Amino acid sequence: MTASLELRNVEKRYGDFVAVASLSLAVPAGVIFGLLGPNGAGKTTTLRMIMDILAPDSGEILLFGRRRRASDLQRMGYLPEERGLYRKMTVLDQLLFLAEIHGLKRRQALPVIEAWLARVDLADWGRKKVEELSKGMQQKVQLIGTVLHEPEILILDEPFSGLDPINQGLFKELLLEYRKQGRTILFSTHGMEQAEKLCDHIGLISHGRLVLSGELREIKRQASGNSYRLVAPATAGDLERVRALPEIEVAISSDVRDPQGAVEPLSASVRLLLKPGASTSELLRQLLQFLEVREFRSEEPDLEDIFIKAVRDAA
Amino acid sequence: MRPEHAFIVGKREYLVRLRSKGFWIATALLPVFMAAMILGPFLAASRSKAEQRLAIVDATGAGLGQRLAAALTERAPGSGRGEGGEVRFEAQLVPPGPDPAALRSKLDRRVRAKELGAWVWLTPDGLRENRFEYHAENLSNVVTQEALRSRISRVVSLWRLRAAGLDAAKIAELTRTVELSTVRISATGSRAEQGIGGFMLAFGLCFGLYMVILIYGQQVMQGVLEEKSSRVIEVIAAAIRPTELMAGKLLGICLVALTQLAIWVGAALVLTTPAILGALWTLPPGLILPHVPGAVIAHLFMLFLLGFFLYSTLYAMIGASFNSVQEAQQFAGVAVVFIVPPLLFITPILNDPDSPLAVSMSLFPFFTPLVMMLRIASKMPPAWQIVAAYSLCLLTIAGMIWLCARVYRIGILMYGKKPTLQEIWHWVRYS
Repeated sequence: MTASLELRNVEKRYGDFVAVASLSLAVPAGVIFGLLGPNGAGKTTTLRMIMDILAPDSGEILLFGRRRRASDLQRMGYLPEERGLYRKMTVLDQLLFLAEIHGLKRRQALPVIEAWLARVDLADWGRKKVEELSKGMQQKVQLIGTVLHEPEILILDEPFSGLDPINQGLFKELLLEYRKQGRTILFSTHGMEQAEKLCDHIGLISHGRLVLSGELREIKRQASGNSYRLVAPATAGDLERVRALPEIEVAISSDVRDPQGAVEPLSASVRLLLKPGASTSELLRQLLQFLEVREFRSEEPDLEDIFIKAVRDAA
Repeated sequence: MRPEHAFIVGKREYLVRLRSKGFWIATALLPVFMAAMILGPFLAASRSKAEQRLAIVDATGAGLGQRLAAALTERAPGSGRGEGGEVRFEAQLVPPGPDPAALRSKLDRRVRAKELGAWVWLTPDGLRENRFEYHAENLSNVVTQEALRSRISRVVSLWRLRAAGLDAAKIAELTRTVELSTVRISATGSRAEQGIGGFMLAFGLCFGLYMVILIYGQQVMQGVLEEKSSRVIEVIAAAIRPTELMAGKLLGICLVALTQLAIWVGAALVLTTPAILGALWTLPPGLILPHVPGAVIAHLFMLFLLGFFLYSTLYAMIGASFNSVQEAQQFAGVAVVFIVPPLLFITPILNDPDSPLAVSMSLFPFFTPLVMMLRIASKMPPAWQIVAAYSLCLLTIAGMIWLCARVYRIGILMYGKKPTLQEIWHWVRYS
């Protein structure tokens, strides 16, 4: 499968601060690619460089398997994290303007816009000014503005942040539809859950570096066999002891409700990622010395564990 | 840079603004406001009726006091009209008495008690030295003082003439002031005009240009800030280049301003045709409206374009550098510093449009639009000066556009902290 989007040793600095360091990444055509990383990892800078809003200091960005051309922007759709609309314009004028700057003629754009407005239940709102719309409605208009020129590559920066549940559903539906049509989607998020549900491929970046990338299924398969679920009444202090054990790579507790360490220990459910070659029987023996273990079982790792491990390995 | 993108942006700017009520309200009200600004002080000055209750102490013994009191209270045409309007006096004669010092302090008391506005003391020494005393609480009433001075002078000179055995009435008749009937000489021929009409026209054109350049410059700044604060900027920057966005914005707003100017000029031309003007209101007899040649109107539009691009690029830079109108307003003052000086020199420039001051100011690009407007409206400058001024302006505009494009490209994506001048300079160097 050819990569429809490829970054080769792309680097971006702001003064002494390295925002993106020698990043190489290939996004195959027709997949949903999740660019994951904590805030400040360089995701937005990377996406802005892909959209040619920022110029990389060095490296190369290839689109559709060749060097970028100015007209490529018209074949791409971009939803920035900081987004907005002209408040004083009507919905229709606004969308016509966005269509025009993406190379569509008004005549072509009008039926497309009307179809979209009907699809998202805004058919009667075309002549209203954007500022008269509710926030949820504005989000729909923004979404239409991103896709109405039928982009082949869709670049979305934190698309789910700030969306209401209805629009989140709408968005997911659209992404899956686009994948079915063979379009390529690259989106950034710091929410692992969304990525896990939607992505075929992921790339994890931390401090401007790619720490892990590939097909999600494959990444999970490689990481499985090392992940366990521990359920036991435990205080915060107990959890610290768990983390300090030599076999443990990462321990993430999902529901300790009393972090101060209450007298009456609460039941904790902890996900454990073991170090390669660690012995489970040895681990269990040590746990039993200070915990009343109620459950200890093998489990498929989720993205968060993998991510934390990858970041730690890279450091 | 793809022109069609700038065109799409320009079209949006133009239509959004032309469809707004604000544009039409401004188009209707701005001329009214400007007329009030220009004609208001003039009318107020010419209509003002200053009044002063005056005590005259005549120690000359020549009966001058009586004559002066009579001359001050009489309201013969021409006698009461000074340049700045009409001043009416209510004069009372006070005998000098044996103790001048006591009288002086008594008069001072009466002035403080508001019984009197002022008092005048005529002395033999004063008559010899041509100098009399005027005592009042307010000495900034230059118009009133001038009226008093000219009437005392007249009374004194008539008295001297009579003392020399000459017929005062005959002399008054023979020494009447001469008026100038003014004729403008221009390339297209000579035409009778009133100096004050030409002055008003030049002033009006210059002031109008100032307002339009300033208002539309500010609109550019607000437009840029609106795109930043509504965060629509990045959505657009992903489809078209920032330079295309900037160019489109400047062109669109420029067209809005040209539309407004065209409406005003068109309306003025229609309204001043004799038939319509006569139907609307009756002009004072003898008032001749200044003729506005087509060349002046052509230069008005040209100078507007130069001024607009000089200042709107400056405003676009300011808008792109900051996050809010409040932050930007502080820097917007910089633009005003450049545009205002010509307004302070209107009178000297109009009085001698070819003076070294006028010529050098008109050649300084940031002053060119307003100063050239004054010069062209009053007396067409030599062609080489116009060509030189316009060329310098165009060069400066090219530089401003270059600078603005660099600041704009980086500034529009900068949020948060207010940048320092040094940081903005870094944007210029590294973009």
